[in-house]
Amino acid sequence: MLDAFSRAVVSADAKTAPIGGGELAALRNYVAEGNKRLDAVNAITSNASCIVSDAVTGIICENTGLIQAGGNCYPNRRMAACLRDGEIVLRYISYALLAGDASVLDDRALNGLKETYIALGVPLQSASRAVAIMKASSTAHINETNTSGTNPVETRFRKMETVKGDCSALVAEAASYFDRVIGALN
Amino acid sequence: MKSVVTTVVTAADAAGRFPSQNDLEAVQGNIQRAAARLEAAEKLAQGLDKVTKEAGDAVFSKYPYLKQAGEAGENQTKVDKCYRDIAHYLRLINYSLVVGGTGPLDEWGIAGAREVYRTLRLPTAAYVEALTFTRDRACSPRDLSPQALNEFKSYLDYAINALS
Repeated sequence: MLDAFSRAVVSADAKTAPIGGGELAALRNYVAEGNKRLDAVNAITSNASCIVSDAVTGIICENTGLIQAGGNCYPNRRMAACLRDGEIVLRYISYALLAGDASVLDDRALNGLKETYIALGVPLQSASRAVAIMKASSTAHINETNTSGTNPVETRFRKMETVKGDCSALVAEAASYFDRVIGALN
Repeated sequence: MKSVVTTVVTAADAAGRFPSQNDLEAVQGNIQRAAARLEAAEKLAQGLDKVTKEAGDAVFSKYPYLKQAGEAGENQTKVDKCYRDIAHYLRLINYSLVVGGTGPLDEWGIAGAREVYRTLRLPTAAYVEALTFTRDRACSPRDLSPQALNEFKSYLDYAINALS
């Protein structure tokens, strides 16, 4: 497993060159933006249960066949497995976001995931749709752009109430990890 | 590669939980100390060739016998390899400063070093001398800020202890 710093070390070692100038500037940026990154990880972990259940509810709303007899979220046992997997994927994404590197996600979650799902008969399309919904809500939580959605009187949505700033780079990075999962499933 | 972040993530993953507040605090603490070690890494990268030359010269002036026939520095090719090895250790220290842990030194420098030196009949005292000279030669504020110097010296000491 690598983080942003050890990734720089491994690629510099391949060239037997010390790390200076340009590479250090990128790492200094990681350090300077460190608090934002920790807030972003916190935004995901603090809302993990909400993000996951929302995503699984979403795929069922879009495809009600999933919870009818013979569907892949029927009975509760399989629905529970679905929620569990959503949480696992989100957890590895939070690790990757904390480390600033996708290697932990690749090595420990995505390697062989597609083959496992095919063998178990899990529909890849529904799985990647759930990840796409998690991406939308996670990035909204990080950026604090989450809204009440289509229901104007809905009050049960939450803002993290951290100091607002430019989080576009972090949101793009987090989104890239979700896209990585979707890419691995397709 | 061991660093604060990978250690924290490994522990969280073993327990199957999301990164906790404690984990985030640990990373935050590491980030606060990062400026000094990144400064040390940058200065070391800039001056790597000069530092290597000074350290190598110090070794051969302290142990002139090394250049005699049958010794580790008997011809120019072998002398060049000594300088190359010193540069190698300094590069690994540069990496360790970047990572904020001894992972690169451990994995690519120290593991197996004793066995290799014994087989090739190389004196570890010469390497210790090179690193000690570098440690005593570096000073603040001429070369580095005090905190950066502290970080640099702690990795030099780590390598010295491992080779002694």
